[in-house]
Amino acid sequence: MNMIEFRNVTKIYEDKTVALKNINLTIKKGEFVFIVGPSGSGKSTIIKLLIKEIPVTSGAIFIAGRNICNLKASKVPLLRRNIGSVFQDFKLLPNKTAFENVAFALEVIGKPTYAIKVQVPQVLKLVGLEHKMNSYPHQLSAGEQQRVSIARAFVNRPPILLADEPTGNLDPVTSEGIMKLLSRINLIGTTVAMATHDKNIVNSMRRRVIELEDGEIIRDQKRGVYGF
Amino acid sequence: MIFKPRYFFGETFSTLRRNFLMFFTAVSTVAITLFIVGFFFILVYDIQSILTSVKSQVELAVYLKDNTTEEFKNYLENEIKSWEEVEKVTYISKEQALEKFKKENEGSEILKEIQGNPLPASFEIRLKSPEKVEQVALRFMTKEGTYIEGIDEVIYGQNYVQKLFSITAIAGTVAFLIIIMLLLAAIVLIFNTIRLSIHARRKEIEVMKLVGATNWFVRIPFIFEGLFEGFAGSIISVIMLYFLSNYLLIRGEKAIIDTLHVKDLAILGPNNVILYIYAGLVILGCLIGLFSSNFALKRYIGV
Repeated sequence: MNMIEFRNVTKIYEDKTVALKNINLTIKKGEFVFIVGPSGSGKSTIIKLLIKEIPVTSGAIFIAGRNICNLKASKVPLLRRNIGSVFQDFKLLPNKTAFENVAFALEVIGKPTYAIKVQVPQVLKLVGLEHKMNSYPHQLSAGEQQRVSIARAFVNRPPILLADEPTGNLDPVTSEGIMKLLSRINLIGTTVAMATHDKNIVNSMRRRVIELEDGEIIRDQKRGVYGF
Repeated sequence: MIFKPRYFFGETFSTLRRNFLMFFTAVSTVAITLFIVGFFFILVYDIQSILTSVKSQVELAVYLKDNTTEEFKNYLENEIKSWEEVEKVTYISKEQALEKFKKENEGSEILKEIQGNPLPASFEIRLKSPEKVEQVALRFMTKEGTYIEGIDEVIYGQNYVQKLFSITAIAGTVAFLIIIMLLLAAIVLIFNTIRLSIHARRKEIEVMKLVGATNWFVRIPFIFEGLFEGFAGSIISVIMLYFLSNYLLIRGEKAIIDTLHVKDLAILGPNNVILYIYAGLVILGCLIGLFSSNFALKRYIGV
């Protein structure tokens, strides 16, 4: 089953920058995909299109068989509840603890308090931070902060997890830990798409690699490496 | 969406606690601007009342020649009554005029000098809209510029009436503009303060949207906050205005009543205008808070 499908997708920004040119691509359920390429090649645009942060210029994007391009604005939050997102800058709230940051994601989608009390410690344990639940982001290392943000993205058990340069701010050893965590999440059955230009990570993981250049797919390889 | 009052109120008040400075700025901005709006409203209302009362005293007096007949007087009276501008016509006969004159000058030397009755009979005409006084006066004139047969003189304060009307018209426009400007200033100030407090929390909003909070879920705490700030600010402005009017403005109004006999004043008048002003300020404060936060949310973070 195709989890994500791009059909002739073109994205031109308001300033006339062509970010994606007629992209066709499918990602199956449970796959782990790297999207690689230099800065400005269109990696982040793919992520932004998937969570409908920006609209497509032409073409169609299907998630679990549904065209999200004609999704009503009021349904976008429901789409996002099914897609966890992780970013280079973590996007944690500085005035909330690790527990509260994760709990916030459940609160704002209306989960009842008793469910929050059960789910948050579970997911923090999964990312290995059960002992730092009450720490604030500034008390955590960069790697730990990224773990909290992964916990937040995953706490709702979304079928898809998107990661935009999740290791961009981390050192190689910490990055490796984050990649192990993403692999574990993938093993549970979650479809993971990760945009990166971290050569070492891509080479060591040996997963599917989609390479972009100037908004076009120049390579789509099973069990690929970063460069040829 | 599941409505969770505890979350919304909790979120509203915890942010009020956290951003106390922001909250304080917004509330005091609302309080001060609405206070000034209210104060001006009282002033403008009273000035308009005084002007209206002066205007309503504008009357035409049509003096008849002594040799006019009873038929002419009746004809003229019916004619005047048929004009749509006219509110009230009173006929004052020569005798009544003399009575009135005697009463007004009781004990004066002049009375001894009077022989017979030199006073003319007259019509006193009160108009529905005093601005038309000149038009009505012209009906007693011929094309050549003399009075029509049987009329001695028409008096309506030719010199000052026009000036009075232009002054009231200007005063009305200026007052209206000042209130509009003050309201705009209030709206802009309040809007900016609320916008700043939303801007300070844009990261929180970004995360909320990212994890799939519905737009309403994001907006409700801000809307509550705006509403609450508008409400609290307007209540403070009403309290300040209450003390100002009860200890200061009320004295001015007493003086106006004593000297000018103007009845319809904001505080002491029979219509309780001041209560409407208080209510208006509270409603205005709430609306401004509500719409500012709503608009700032839409405009600056697209939710």
